[in-house]
Amino acid sequence: MKISDNIEIIDLCLYLKKEKILVIGDMHIGLEESLQKQGFFIPRFDVNEVIERLKNIFSKAEVKKIILMGDVKHEFGTISGQEWRDTLKVLDFLLERGEIILIKGNHDTILGPISHKRNLEIKDYYKINDTLFVHGDKIVNEKSKIIVIGHEHPAVSFEERRDEKYKCFLLGKFKKSKLIVIPSFNLLTEGSDITKENVLSPYIKDIKNFRVYVVEDEVRDFGFVKDLE
Amino acid sequence: MITKIEEPHKKNDILKILHPFVREWFLNKFGEFSLPQLYGVMEIHNRNNILVSAPTGSTKTLTAFLAILNELVTLDVEGKLEDKIYAVYVSPLKALSRDVEVNLTTPLGEINGIAKKYGKKLSIRIGLRTGDTSASERAKMSRKPVHLLVSTPESLALVITSPKFREYMRDIRYCIVDEIHALAENKRGVHLSLSIERLRELTGEDFCRIGLSATVSPLDEIAKYLVGNGNSCKIADVQFVKKMDLKVLSPVKDLINTSYEEQSRETYELIDNLVQEHKTTLIFTNTRAATERVVHHLKEKFPKKYSDNIGAHHGSLSKEKRLDIENKLREGKLKVVVCSTSLELGIDIGYIDLVILLGSPKSVARCLQRIGRSGHKLHETAKGRIIVLDRDDLIECSVMLKSAIEKKIDTIHIPRNCLDVLAQQIYGIAIADMIHYDDLFKLIKRSYCYKGLEKSDFDSVLDYLAGEFTSLEDRHVYAKIWRDKETGMIGRRGKLSRIIYMTNIGTIPDETHVTVKIGEQIIGHIDEGFLERLKSRDVFVLGGERYEFQFARGMVAQVKSSANRPPTIPSWFSEMLPLSYDLGAEIGRFRRLMEEKFLKRRNKKEIIDFIDEYLYVDRNSAEAIYRYFNEMFLYVKEIPNDKKIVIEHYSAYNKKFVVFHTLYGRRVNDVLSRATAYLVGLLGKRDVELGINDNGFYIASENNMQAKRAFDSLKSKDLDKIMEIALEKTEVLRRRFRHCAGRSLMILREYKGRRKRVGRQQVSSMLLISAVRRISNDFSILKEARREVLEDLMDIEHAREIIKKVENGEIKIKEIDTKVPSPFAFNLVLQGYVDVFKVEDRMEFLKRMHQLVLAKIGMTEKLEV
Repeated sequence: MKISDNIEIIDLCLYLKKEKILVIGDMHIGLEESLQKQGFFIPRFDVNEVIERLKNIFSKAEVKKIILMGDVKHEFGTISGQEWRDTLKVLDFLLERGEIILIKGNHDTILGPISHKRNLEIKDYYKINDTLFVHGDKIVNEKSKIIVIGHEHPAVSFEERRDEKYKCFLLGKFKKSKLIVIPSFNLLTEGSDITKENVLSPYIKDIKNFRVYVVEDEVRDFGFVKDLE
Repeated sequence: MITKIEEPHKKNDILKILHPFVREWFLNKFGEFSLPQLYGVMEIHNRNNILVSAPTGSTKTLTAFLAILNELVTLDVEGKLEDKIYAVYVSPLKALSRDVEVNLTTPLGEINGIAKKYGKKLSIRIGLRTGDTSASERAKMSRKPVHLLVSTPESLALVITSPKFREYMRDIRYCIVDEIHALAENKRGVHLSLSIERLRELTGEDFCRIGLSATVSPLDEIAKYLVGNGNSCKIADVQFVKKMDLKVLSPVKDLINTSYEEQSRETYELIDNLVQEHKTTLIFTNTRAATERVVHHLKEKFPKKYSDNIGAHHGSLSKEKRLDIENKLREGKLKVVVCSTSLELGIDIGYIDLVILLGSPKSVARCLQRIGRSGHKLHETAKGRIIVLDRDDLIECSVMLKSAIEKKIDTIHIPRNCLDVLAQQIYGIAIADMIHYDDLFKLIKRSYCYKGLEKSDFDSVLDYLAGEFTSLEDRHVYAKIWRDKETGMIGRRGKLSRIIYMTNIGTIPDETHVTVKIGEQIIGHIDEGFLERLKSRDVFVLGGERYEFQFARGMVAQVKSSANRPPTIPSWFSEMLPLSYDLGAEIGRFRRLMEEKFLKRRNKKEIIDFIDEYLYVDRNSAEAIYRYFNEMFLYVKEIPNDKKIVIEHYSAYNKKFVVFHTLYGRRVNDVLSRATAYLVGLLGKRDVELGINDNGFYIASENNMQAKRAFDSLKSKDLDKIMEIALEKTEVLRRRFRHCAGRSLMILREYKGRRKRVGRQQVSSMLLISAVRRISNDFSILKEARREVLEDLMDIEHAREIIKKVENGEIKIKEIDTKVPSPFAFNLVLQGYVDVFKVEDRMEFLKRMHQLVLAKIGMTEKLEV
């Protein structure tokens, strides 16, 4: 779905037409493993499912550059072999399809070794033309007409069924800039329900007036957050 | 073979088998054997398996201990007492120290006193091992074994996994299971049955099993549960020797046209009168909230009579508070104690001469158990008064009273083939020792609870434990046991397994209180089960105030104050006991007999005479019952009963309601209603609202529903499949899955020294259930959650029976239309708990929401980037 002349939502990703950039939200690879360490033996999610979903997205757009919005992997502590392999598998898949720009997330404190292995630099933020890409856990001192963030993992639910959550994009304002919040690319979790939970990112103020685009089988415009109540 | 002992043994014969010290002690202290002792002591002495069923206060505990102490004393005096455990006693109660004191330590001390007289000194050791036993005590016991071990089911499972204790337990001769009726009906009992078979595996030969039970039915089943498959057992049935004085009382003459205030005032007057006429009264209220309320009102209305002499006792109170009340009760310092259900079981609570039940206890066995708390000695009469709250309650309690007097006890339900408990026990078995696949299967099949276990289910549990649902590479993370498929051997895996087992054992899910908040302000707590039933905008009462539920996140429920709307859901719902199926059937029968009278145009007097004679109620109650039935009959010309389901249609608030009068208890109605709602949904393609109670259920929707057609199309052969789909998205399945995942150690509540909050467990179990579904919809733990919901929480077997009876015409269906709900539908519509049945799938639901939003905002304003 086109949300401006240059910007389109393709499944869970954002696409910048002019720059041929594909933006992918927080992936949190290894979330299951971190849960195992706490005693929740959740079966591992097959990373191939992630790749299949990405393949489908790439088939819909011509991509030169890929921006990963941070929190590519989940664990704060040590990286296990499996996590290492899964992350590399995704990175290699993406590298075959374009240049990767890695943005630092709050879970990425030790993503270094993995990115290093593929000679990727981790940036605190990235700006191209009038668009700024930043993870969103803290505000960076950089102005831009459009700001894109991850971190929030936005999802919505409806009063009739509070237990059913749907991933969504949010479109609103931060000061004088347009703000786009992109959903997580973790397929095990839906995200945090912005209709009932507090927002995390300091970029998001006045969430009631954010526009909601729900992503399911297709992308649907759901009007403003305040209309959902 | 299960056989009933017909004749008690002779006193002199029993005295003959007692060691002189024990005999002297017994004659000095008691003089005479109680009936359970006359039946039981000799059998236990002869090492026959036995189930002793007798009311509380009939000294059945000493029955078990007498023969065992006798043997220990004999061995001791002969110098043959070895350093090993001879007997193990298991009780579901955690606070056992007092019981041990009264029933073991004191008698043993006294016998020792006699021995000293004859220049002998006894060296018998008794030890208590529960979750509260200190580390130093435990260490002491593992250095030097006790001869008689007192334990809980959980601690027993621990000690039979401990290498030291296993050595001490190889020659166990006796195993006593106390309060066996309270264990057999839940997963704690299933867990225990496997622990006992593990013990049996360890000893290599049969030991004497002794079960002690209150009034319960059928005794054969409990006996089989006790001894396992293939063993014989004797039954000493002295259930009904205690005399009972039971009455149903209405606080007011007219239970419908009396204002709430008046009825409440009369109820408290009645309670006060009864309490004042007796020395010590115990009141059962069914719920914690009601317990608090009754204490509060009695103090408020009669400040001079009730102050320090009244106490509340329920599960939400701290352990100290409960102990304090129990002690005061025993010391005779209390005039009246009000409890929810917490004083139903075992512990000695001293002298009670009256039990009051406020509202129906929902089963005959429970009714007898509660009333049996009065007149503590066997020869004393138990006195019980049931105060009814409304007309349905009146009929229910009156029929219950009839069943109690005529000794028709409801059938106990024993959970079968629980795969989560099985997983936990196999884990324990593997930790204790290496075992061959075939021997393991045989061990498990000895338990009565696993008699029908399919090999394929057993295998799937092993696959789960061996981590075979993940890749070979990940197995080191997921596998809990080691298994060699070539040799068939199964054993322990990983250094942490023993500590994980010790810290995560048991079957009782973590306490699950949900915090209720307005914003950040904490209002109070509700049960997780109650939260399960709440939907957005529901109004409920908490601490006397009304709140409107908004949403829940993890273990926090967000609400706002709601001054003007009436409660939509009774706050005691989650604690509500379901009506037993058998009692439901009895009430249905009574309804049918009543309908026959009306159809035969019997006059008022004739019918009241019939009620009088049939039900053992007073004239007032008989008259109230008559009026209730008469109203129903005049209004709709039908009385729903055990052979006739009435389907009633009416509309209110722009909604269409279809009420099904199915008096089979909530566990059955839970199944019937969801299956029907599912089929209604299929025909109408929209979510429907459900209301359920013991007497029936309703389905409501803004749209037209083809409810009769749906109900007609419900076939017994399709029930399993329909219910599997119908449960798929329910909160109750998710919640039970979390419990099952905990029991099967897929979620560890304690891991690497850290204990997890329930809220955390909850969030992760959501991820877990979707991950498990991705592997297989038949994954053993998911399958078990489904079984638990359908068989233990609900009652799919009896629901199937009902549907079959409809199919073969034994139960008829009648449809009626009403303008306002009929008298029998009234309580159901007013108080039945409500749920929404989701028909639409995730995508359809989203599409509909989208249409709604589009219509609402017109989608004119486009936001440009």
